[in-house]
Amino acid sequence: MLARSTATKRSEVANERRPDLRPARLARWREALAVQAFFLPTVLSFVLLVAVPSVLTIALSFTNFDGYSFKFHFVGLSNYSALFSDPQITASLYFTILYAVATTVIVTVIAIPLAVIVNINFAGHKLVRAVFFFTSVPSLLVLALVWTYILSPLGSGVINYLLYGLFGAGPVQWLSDNHLAQLSVIMVGVWAQAGWHSVLYLGYLQSVPGDYYDAAVVDGASVMRRFFGITLPLLAPAMTVSVVLLMISGLRVYELPLALTQGGPVYSTYTVTQNILLYGVSNGKFGEGSALSAVFLALVIAVLFGILGALRHRESRLFR
Amino acid sequence: MSSVGRAPVRAVRPRVLRLRANWRRHRRLALKLVLSLVMLALAAGAALPFYYIVVNTFKTPEQSAISPLALPSPFTLQNYKNVVNSVPLLQSFGNSAYVTVLGVLTTVLFGSMAAYAINMRRTRANRVLRLVLITALAIPFQVTVVPLYEMMVKSGLVNSLSGLVVVYMAGAVFCFFIIDGYMSTIPKELVEAAKIDGAGVVQIYARIMMPLSMPVLATVAIFQTIGIWNDFLVANTFLSSSSKYTIVLQVYSSVGEFTTNWPSFMTLTTISLVPMVVFFLIIQRKIIGGLAAGAVKG
Repeated sequence: MLARSTATKRSEVANERRPDLRPARLARWREALAVQAFFLPTVLSFVLLVAVPSVLTIALSFTNFDGYSFKFHFVGLSNYSALFSDPQITASLYFTILYAVATTVIVTVIAIPLAVIVNINFAGHKLVRAVFFFTSVPSLLVLALVWTYILSPLGSGVINYLLYGLFGAGPVQWLSDNHLAQLSVIMVGVWAQAGWHSVLYLGYLQSVPGDYYDAAVVDGASVMRRFFGITLPLLAPAMTVSVVLLMISGLRVYELPLALTQGGPVYSTYTVTQNILLYGVSNGKFGEGSALSAVFLALVIAVLFGILGALRHRESRLFR
Repeated sequence: MSSVGRAPVRAVRPRVLRLRANWRRHRRLALKLVLSLVMLALAAGAALPFYYIVVNTFKTPEQSAISPLALPSPFTLQNYKNVVNSVPLLQSFGNSAYVTVLGVLTTVLFGSMAAYAINMRRTRANRVLRLVLITALAIPFQVTVVPLYEMMVKSGLVNSLSGLVVVYMAGAVFCFFIIDGYMSTIPKELVEAAKIDGAGVVQIYARIMMPLSMPVLATVAIFQTIGIWNDFLVANTFLSSSSKYTIVLQVYSSVGEFTTNWPSFMTLTTISLVPMVVFFLIIQRKIIGGLAAGAVKG
């Protein structure tokens, strides 16, 4: 009461000096509040759909919650130690990392030259660009289902049909041999993503000034020199974006192996995400599922910061 | 010209240069032709699965087993009849359209609102808020799924298309991030001028910032449309009854039904791809430019 009255007195004094100050300040406050209100929907969806569940995941990973009874208690790190002794989970960690690294490297090695080539004005370059890009438009799940037929050793298997027709080679068990199944999943992943990433690089390429190349040509630089000396360094920022996106989507891979191999043969193409859903949602092993989620989150964040740090360092070295 | 001795030199050198230039031009044309042929062949290879899907929809199962890549010799529409009769296509397309339209509208609206807010008041607190929000981009759905599923069960939003839209709203942060990058390039003078003219906070958003952000709104809406229409993970987690299936879930659940009759499966796939192909043809030029614009700014 006292504080309030002094505050009013003070503002009255202020008003005597500058009579229009209070309404102006009030209007500014009201405007600021109205602007802040525009954050509300995004902040709410972030809090309810991302922040709260993430914190709960980490909390649940230290309990033996089974999803039904509320009589659960703290079990320490036992969910985590259970994870690393479960072959289905260690296999999924191995394959997820293998897939993420392999697709990132192969897609990058294909996408950059592809972008450089489709940037040349040859006959049909727009068609080629569109075709390569199109593979990333349909649902990956549906495309993966189609690839199961293409890779099949049975009548529908075009790859084996061509191998037999051209070389007389017998049917290759693309999806039922451990290593071949892993290779097949990775190759389909590359096929589906290379075009999209080359379009990303293309965007950056088109903003490279032509003068650089003109100057290099005058200096007598060969095509290779121009690629490694100009194109590649100038694509460094694009590479940061592309590699981060590839690694993140690679670690999150789910529907591609699910549709192509269902995680088999044995555990060879199980993914982390598949196990999280299997343990945490279908089998009701919330503790282990949450622990795996927490490990996965740590992995994603470590990779993200690791790559961003390394690539930013490279960028700054290149442009110093 | 006046000196006889210099004339031949002048006549010869340009001839050599012209020849060399001609030869260069021819070599360049030949190289481009080779490049064009090689690239078209590679593109044809990449597109082979699509040819394979479509060509087999017009064959009998026996015929596709014998020659999977040949053109259909007795042309048949039986597969289309099969699929239309056995799969509730209209229902699945309707479900996909419902979640996609609502999901894209809400996320783009929410994201643009937040982007507007931070561009009006880039205070220290708001910049911290932006950083906090951006962490959402690093947190995969799978990390949140276990508690999220429980929360959705408790709120009665599981196995409901509207509940699915609610889950998709998490994408608002992605939209916010991209739209913010673009909005920050809009000159502040426009907002100041509108304020002087007496425009309120809502009016500045609706009449000035939104129309000026149209290019980035289109890009974000395209990304969201492709993402939500093709989503399998979230839909498969939260939907259980087949009457709620989106088209992607419908294709997935029909694999078992058509294991022996795979031309029919290819037909279902082809039909399911039609909306995305049409969408691709409409947005194709925009996306290639937009991807670049969004990426270069972001």
